[in-house]
Amino acid sequence: MKALILDSGALINLSMNGLLYLIEEFKKITKIKFLITKQVKYEIVDRPINIPRFELGALRVSNLIDSKHLELPQSLNISDEEINSLTKKLKENANNSLESQGRSIQIVSDAEMSCLALSSILTEKGIENIIAIDERTTRILAEKPESLEELMSSKLHKKITTNKKNLAVFSKFRFIRSTELVYVAYKKGILKVNGAKALEAALYATKFKGAAVSWDEINILKKL
Amino acid sequence: MDIEEKEVEHIVHVLKEIKQYLAENNAIKLKELSNHTIHSASTYQDAGSITLAVLVYTLSKLIEREDYKKIKDWREFIKKLNAIIDKSIAEIEKNNQKEYEEVFVNSRKLLESVSPNLKKYIEEVIRKASINKGSKIYEHGISLEQTSRLLGITQWELSEYIGQKNLPETKPSMTINIKKRAEMALEFFK
Repeated sequence: MKALILDSGALINLSMNGLLYLIEEFKKITKIKFLITKQVKYEIVDRPINIPRFELGALRVSNLIDSKHLELPQSLNISDEEINSLTKKLKENANNSLESQGRSIQIVSDAEMSCLALSSILTEKGIENIIAIDERTTRILAEKPESLEELMSSKLHKKITTNKKNLAVFSKFRFIRSTELVYVAYKKGILKVNGAKALEAALYATKFKGAAVSWDEINILKKL
Repeated sequence: MDIEEKEVEHIVHVLKEIKQYLAENNAIKLKELSNHTIHSASTYQDAGSITLAVLVYTLSKLIEREDYKKIKDWREFIKKLNAIIDKSIAEIEKNNQKEYEEVFVNSRKLLESVSPNLKKYIEEVIRKASINKGSKIYEHGISLEQTSRLLGITQWELSEYIGQKNLPETKPSMTINIKKRAEMALEFFK
């Protein structure tokens, strides 16, 4: 069994682009489970459902949960307590990993760290998994933390230092973005958009709804 | 969290300039100033710096679009706001962080209630200002969720704005080679 863990941004992206149906299509052709944590559900369903502007988007995601295309970790006998406890630890580590003049900078929040917590638990259970996350901070923190130090130092015009000991725990995670999800959907023939520019258009759409992907990366993806 | 002395000096300088540019109705300078507290908003994540950034950006928009002319008591409002700014300067200089933050929460309430006819419109300008400042904080390396929490906005609106805004592509954002990531994704879905 494999599991794809979706962070809020990736789901918001698919919803705003009318691409949530890809989850249903992927489920038809693979045995991958699509999981979201309680913290992510709060961000994409429970909170926006009361905001008229985002009510429809929240309902669409909620429908996917009702139809079990999107599942909560309980479906794999993983409890909220287990996730919450690990989320807290990871958040503490992340939020004490970058410092400006001896003060820690709070860089991440619960939902993002809950995805990493779930990934850890799944890996421990021997379930291959990957995290779909569109925002860049969590991804950089795990894949190239020295770049986060560089980015923040240049933006804040201050020396930012990293606590490497706290960062070690983040190196084991694997990430894709909604951009790669759309790319795979195209390759699998489940992207219901026709025309020579279908892939290009769908990749651009993910960028315009917040996926942290560069134009250069999109240009490379188009040619692969 | 105590704000460093150097940062306090900077905030005081910004607050004094806000008064000056408000008196001149200088929307461009106010807009620039709204970004000057983003560094401390990103580092300290204090309600004072965040509210100040949003408030000043909102005021710049009201002046830029000449909406302030529709507000009957605008002059009176500016007078009250100047008094609030003076109080905030006094509090931050004494490093009374809590009181400094409270002053700005009150200033936001004052702005929201300045014109009953324009209440909804002003609330909308404040919401858009919050999204704009949120995108700046996200640019500084704070995660999407943490940023939306700080600004009291949803990730839905922030994601959309960030996407439309086309943030500058910085080298540090490039982590894993795109070919490798695409291959990893394809392999996972095999």
